[in-house]
Amino acid sequence: MSITPDYVCKADSQAVSASRTSLTFATCLLAFSVAATQPSLAEEQIVIATTGGTWERQMREHFFDPFTKETGIKVVTVSGTGAENVARVKAMAATGKIEWDLYQAGEIQAASDLHRTLNEDMTTFCADYLADRDLLPDACNRSGVLFGYGTTLMVYNTDSFPKGGPANWQDFFDVERFPGPRALPNFNDPWRVMAAALLADGVEPKVLFPLDIDRALKKLDDLRPHVGLWWKTGDQSTQGFRTGEYVIGQIWQTRAAALKQEGQPLAWRQDQAFLVGDRWALIKNAPNRDNAIRFLRYFLSHPDAQAKVCEALTCAPARRSAATAMGEMARAMVPTSSDVFDRLIKPDAAWINANTQLLIERWNEWNQQ
Amino acid sequence: MTKPMKIRSLTGRAAAPMPNGLSARQYPLGLSLLLIAPLFLLLGFGFIYPVGRLLGQSFFAPELGLDNYRRLLETSLYLRVLIRTITVAFVVMSASLAIGYPVALAMARLRRDLSSLVMACVLLPLWTSALVRSYAWIVILQRRGLVNDVLSGLGLISEPLKLLYTEGAVILAMTHVLVPFMILPIYGALRAIPPDLVQAARNLGADRVNVFIRILLPLSLPGVFAGCLMTFILALGFYVTPALVGGPSSLLMATLIGQQTTETLDWGFAGALSTVLLLVTLLIVILFRKVLSHSRGISNVA
Repeated sequence: MSITPDYVCKADSQAVSASRTSLTFATCLLAFSVAATQPSLAEEQIVIATTGGTWERQMREHFFDPFTKETGIKVVTVSGTGAENVARVKAMAATGKIEWDLYQAGEIQAASDLHRTLNEDMTTFCADYLADRDLLPDACNRSGVLFGYGTTLMVYNTDSFPKGGPANWQDFFDVERFPGPRALPNFNDPWRVMAAALLADGVEPKVLFPLDIDRALKKLDDLRPHVGLWWKTGDQSTQGFRTGEYVIGQIWQTRAAALKQEGQPLAWRQDQAFLVGDRWALIKNAPNRDNAIRFLRYFLSHPDAQAKVCEALTCAPARRSAATAMGEMARAMVPTSSDVFDRLIKPDAAWINANTQLLIERWNEWNQQ
Repeated sequence: MTKPMKIRSLTGRAAAPMPNGLSARQYPLGLSLLLIAPLFLLLGFGFIYPVGRLLGQSFFAPELGLDNYRRLLETSLYLRVLIRTITVAFVVMSASLAIGYPVALAMARLRRDLSSLVMACVLLPLWTSALVRSYAWIVILQRRGLVNDVLSGLGLISEPLKLLYTEGAVILAMTHVLVPFMILPIYGALRAIPPDLVQAARNLGADRVNVFIRILLPLSLPGVFAGCLMTFILALGFYVTPALVGGPSSLLMATLIGQQTTETLDWGFAGALSTVLLLVTLLIVILFRKVLSHSRGISNVA
């Protein structure tokens, strides 16, 4: 549907005389039928691949719909898991038929060579934002525009540890002092688990990367019998906490916040949590490139909406002013303050990308032992 | 497999030749081609072309050669997972047969209304997605799930058992999903057996056990083979269920292929893994036919 019928109907609804009203009605009908038969290609639109769920709902409310209202550009969404979306972009590039304009890539993925062959170099776009001190450093770079940061952190059940829970990854691996089943992620992205093991084994955060895989797996050998849940999806990690499948776990901050909001006896440690960002990527030869650029500018220039979205999703927004605009409660949950931010573990994307196959192969092998 | 055909082959009477020289059992070639054309078109565009491209990539990506296959053979992990996949599929097939055959037998012998009821019970789960059924098993098997609650309530265990994220859980959940595929062909074969044969055997003095071993079992073998083949092949490619109820230690081939297609985006290697799985599946189907070809029923299977 185009925006025409809406406009016509509103303008004429002021009419008072009976004949005018029926005329208006007829005009509206006509306008609607014309609009409905217009091919969708004729409209201004952008196609954005999303991960669906809450993310899409929040974005629709605070960005997509207001953007359409301001510019008349319709936002069409397609949803899939993050990894699926990347795979589909790769397939589109291979067949030369690009159907999407924008999608979100994880910060690590966004630093890979593949990402750069699939997506546009944003350096020129970012030049306009170089002087913008309100943006987090590196928020706009050749790989894309930062959406926000989230963390993977340690959570524990406060009921299980009334005298104080585990404080760091060392305690996570200490099953004598902190007994009970553990939860660790197993979604084909094992660096977080290995990094936690190395930190627990006394490796300094500064020299964490490149990861000493052998040492990490050796440390994990001892913990393995105590892992009650290897979660594959975020839902598994929340459900597992509720049902006592684990009492200490490494899970996503978004899920931890959701559990806390529903009143679960949960506490977390942001110290040495793993920081991962998401970036908007503009696909090469995107069918609605100009509209996509417009959307990215719109995204960057609306810190209030960024604050709302990040409040709901518990992420750290790309703009400092957006972080300040977030509510007190929400701000406490995300790593916005610089003292917390400095103690987070930032993954070495270049090393991880260069070693994806090695990591996954060693991980699979270890699991088969 | 239709009833009249079965009787004919049992009585050994050959089909009467048609005046134009064609057998009554065969349509003219043109008509046959026309009838199968839609399926073949669908198969060609929807299956052979895309799958062929994926498999082809295993020789061309990242560069021409057999590097992907060399890597697959050099790392023991992949062969180990392949063997585990075949073992799990075999166990699931056997379990489905053990559970499915008695059900099919009962369904074939029950009164019509009762047998429809059982049929509904068999078919209902088929209409629920495998995802939902896998989550249902999680609810049942988890630490504070139904099984652990009952066992600890009876005082049989003091600590909850680790039931979920084990290979046993994978086999259990997969069997649950696949058992209808075993029951239906066996039921079909059993229903096609003329009741007169059983009657005749009883008249000649055979007891129930003898009737089953000498009449029902041999004549239901085509259904058994079809069911076994179907559950085995479906089990080889299972993805969702092992991913959810199995821990990281129960890796199957489909999970590996999924990792390579969506996580590492190495489609050449994903193609190599798929080719190996496909070849192994074909090999097993051929072996299946060879081993069982002395049985007359097998000609109806594949």
